[in-house]
Amino acid sequence: MFATLRGMGDAPPPRALTDLRADPRLRTLTTLPDLRSAALPVGDPLGGLLPDGLVRGRTVACSGDAAVSLVLHLVAAATQAGSWLALFDDGRVGLLAAHERGVALQRTVLVSPPRDPSSWSSALATAVDGFEVVAAFPPRGASPADLRRVQARVQARGAALVLVDPRRRVPAGQADVVLATRTRAWHGIADGAGHLESRDVEVEVAGRRTARPHRAVLRIAG
Amino acid sequence: MASGPTRVAVVAVPDWPAVAAGIERGDASGPVVVLHAQRVVARTAAAAAEGVRRGMRRREAQAACPSAHVAPHQPVRDRAVFDPVVRAVSELVPLIEVPEPGTIVLPARGPSRYFGGDGPFTALLATAVSAAAHGARAGIAVADGRLAATVAAHHCAGGPPLVVPPGGSAPLVASLPVSVLAEHAGIDADAVSLFERLGIARLGDLAALDEAPLVARFGPLGADVRRLALGDDRHPPLVADPPPERTFACTFEEPVEDQRAVAAACAPVADELSAHLAAHGACCAQVHVSIATDHGEQSDRLWYEPAGLSAAALVDRVRWQLAEWVEGRGPTSGVVAVRLFPVALRPLAGGQAGLWGGDARCDDAAVQASERLVAMLGAACVAVPEWRGGRDPGRAFVAVPVTAVDLRGRAASPVVPREAWRGSLPVPAPSVVLDDPPEVAVRGADGEPVTVGGRHELSGAPSCVVDGAGEWRVLAWAGPWPVEERWWDERRRRRMVRLHAVLGRDGAAPQGVVLALESGRWRVAARFG
Repeated sequence: MFATLRGMGDAPPPRALTDLRADPRLRTLTTLPDLRSAALPVGDPLGGLLPDGLVRGRTVACSGDAAVSLVLHLVAAATQAGSWLALFDDGRVGLLAAHERGVALQRTVLVSPPRDPSSWSSALATAVDGFEVVAAFPPRGASPADLRRVQARVQARGAALVLVDPRRRVPAGQADVVLATRTRAWHGIADGAGHLESRDVEVEVAGRRTARPHRAVLRIAG
Repeated sequence: MASGPTRVAVVAVPDWPAVAAGIERGDASGPVVVLHAQRVVARTAAAAAEGVRRGMRRREAQAACPSAHVAPHQPVRDRAVFDPVVRAVSELVPLIEVPEPGTIVLPARGPSRYFGGDGPFTALLATAVSAAAHGARAGIAVADGRLAATVAAHHCAGGPPLVVPPGGSAPLVASLPVSVLAEHAGIDADAVSLFERLGIARLGDLAALDEAPLVARFGPLGADVRRLALGDDRHPPLVADPPPERTFACTFEEPVEDQRAVAAACAPVADELSAHLAAHGACCAQVHVSIATDHGEQSDRLWYEPAGLSAAALVDRVRWQLAEWVEGRGPTSGVVAVRLFPVALRPLAGGQAGLWGGDARCDDAAVQASERLVAMLGAACVAVPEWRGGRDPGRAFVAVPVTAVDLRGRAASPVVPREAWRGSLPVPAPSVVLDDPPEVAVRGADGEPVTVGGRHELSGAPSCVVDGAGEWRVLAWAGPWPVEERWWDERRRRRMVRLHAVLGRDGAAPQGVVLALESGRWRVAARFG
C-alpha cells in the first residue's frame, strides 16, 4: 500500500485549476451551444409515434377532437423529468385530468393569455425564455408572423412548443410536427353501466419535419 | 463599511386612507371610516374618538359612530391625494422614499446639516407638509433607524416634530411594546402574538435574548426582530467588503414614451446589477432609481426592501416610479435614461434551491420567466394550481397567483390530491372543463325531457341531446353520480346529478361528455377534448 502511495508521489503534481481554465482544449467545451439532451422524453402511449421525443426548438401542433387530452399525454413525461411547463390557457384545461395523465403540476405555471395575437406572441416568447415546455391554444386571428416570432425564440432557447389546436388555426406547414386526432370509439361505457374509461384515437403524424405522413390508432385514457 | 442604523427622518400621517378620503370629500377633519373586505382598515381621528377601531366590522363601526362617512379602500386615491405632500417634501430634500401613501422616509444627515440642525430641518418639513396635506395630523420625527423614527412620527402626529438625539433611539425602542413590530416594521402579526404569549412584552426583553436561540426558534425572522429590537435596521449589515461601485444605466438614443418599453429595457440592466452584487455575495436592500427625460426633467426616488431586491423587483420599482410620475405631475417628454444606484447592501440570502431534486438552473429560469410574465400581464394572470378537492372536476384545483407562493420551494414536492373524494366522478377526469357551460335539452326515447327523482333515479334513459348547434344522438351513457353538498346550509347547498355520455352525429367523431343536471337544467359541464 505504501508502495503505491509513493508511486503516486512520483507522478507530476496535478496542475492548478487556473492552468486548467487556460487549457485551450477545455475552452472549446464551453463554446458548445448546449450540453442538454437534444430532446425531452415522451412517455406511452405516444412514445411509439414520436420516437425522438419532444425535440428542443421544434413546434408540435395537436389538432382534432382529442387534441387537449393528447397534449396532456405529450408533455407529462417531460414535466416529470424536471422540465417546467407554462400552460397558456384561460381555464379550459381540466387540471385534475392533467394530474391523472401524469403532468407534474408542481412544475406547471398557468398563464391567462392576452387576447390580441401580438401580445399573445410576446407573452409566449417571454415564457419560452424560462420554461422548457410551453403549451398554448393559438388565439383567434393569430397570423403566421405571430407564430414565427415565437418559433424563432423557441429555436434560439431550445424549448419545446406545443400548440393545442382543436380548431385547426395553425396553418399547414408551420408546425414541425402535426398530430391530427380523431376519436374512433369509446370503451368502458354501455347503456347505463360502466363509465368513460378509454378511447381509440386515430392520430395522423404529418408536418414539415416528418419525412412521410403516417397514421396509427392509439388507446388513450380519457 | 457603515455600521449602526442610519439617521432618518419620517413624515407619517396615521390612517392616511381615511384622511385622503376626507380630503377628497372636502372635509379633512370629519369622521371617515375606510373599509376593505367589510373591515375597517383606517379611520380619522374624529372617528377614533367615537370608538372606531381598525379591524371592526362595518356594522360595529357604524354603531360606534353613526355620523361617519364610509368610504371604500382605493389605493389610487390614497396615492393621488398624497402626491402634493410628496412634491412639497421633495422640494426640500430631492431624494426621498415613499414606502406607502401616507409615509415618507428620508435620509436626515445631509439635509439636517444643510438646514442647520434637526430642529430647523423638521420645522421646515412641518410647514411644507401641513400646507400640502390640508392640515391633516401629520407626525414628523428624526431618529437613528427606521423603526424608532416611524414610531416617533406616529406618536407625535398632530403635535410638534420630535427629534430623538443621536444614540437615544436604542433606549426608546427598548421601551416599546412588541406590537409595534407588526404595526410599523412589517413583521408577521402571528409571530408578534407568539412573542406576547411567550411573555416577551417589550422590545427590550427581545433585545436581551441571545441571537442563537432566537434564530434557532424563528429562523431569519428571529435575527430580524432582534436587530430591530436593538434599534438597528432590519436588513443585516454587509460583513464582507462591498463590491466595487459601478453605474448601472439604461440609456435610449431616442426618447421612449411607452412605460412598458422602458421597464423591459431596464430588465437586462437590473439583471446585470443583481449579478454584479451576487458575485460579491450581496444584494440590494435600498436602491436609488433615477429617471431622466429628454427635456431634462428628472425623477429620483429611493426604494427599500429589507429582504433584498431581486432583478425583477428592481424592474418593478422602476415601473412603479415611472407610473407614479406619469400619473402625477407628468414628464413632458420621453425617457432617455434610467439609472440604478445601489444605496444599501445586505448579504445575499437564499437562492439555494434545487436541493430536493429538479434542476436548480431550470427552476431559476422558470422562476425568472414567471416574474417577467407577472410584470407583463399582471399578477392575476400568472398562477399555479393548488389542490382544493371537491366533487367537481373543474374545481379540484384552484389557481393561486405565483406572487403569493414560493415557486422554487413548491417544485420540490408534488401537488398531489391525497385521496379521491367520495361521490366524485370516476377516473379519468375530463380534459376540458367549461366555466360557464351551455344549457342543453336531454330527452328520452319518447321525446320527453329526462328528469331525476328524489332518490337520484332517472326518469328514463337519455337518447338525444339538443344544444345550440343541433341534435346529438346518445350513443352510450352511464351514471348517474349524484352530489349532495352542504344540505344543512339553506343558501349554499347544492344538489345535482352527473352522467357520462358519448354523443354522436353523422360525420362527427364520438364525443365524450359529462352532463350535469342542477336546478332542473341540464348542461354539458365538461368534455373529453
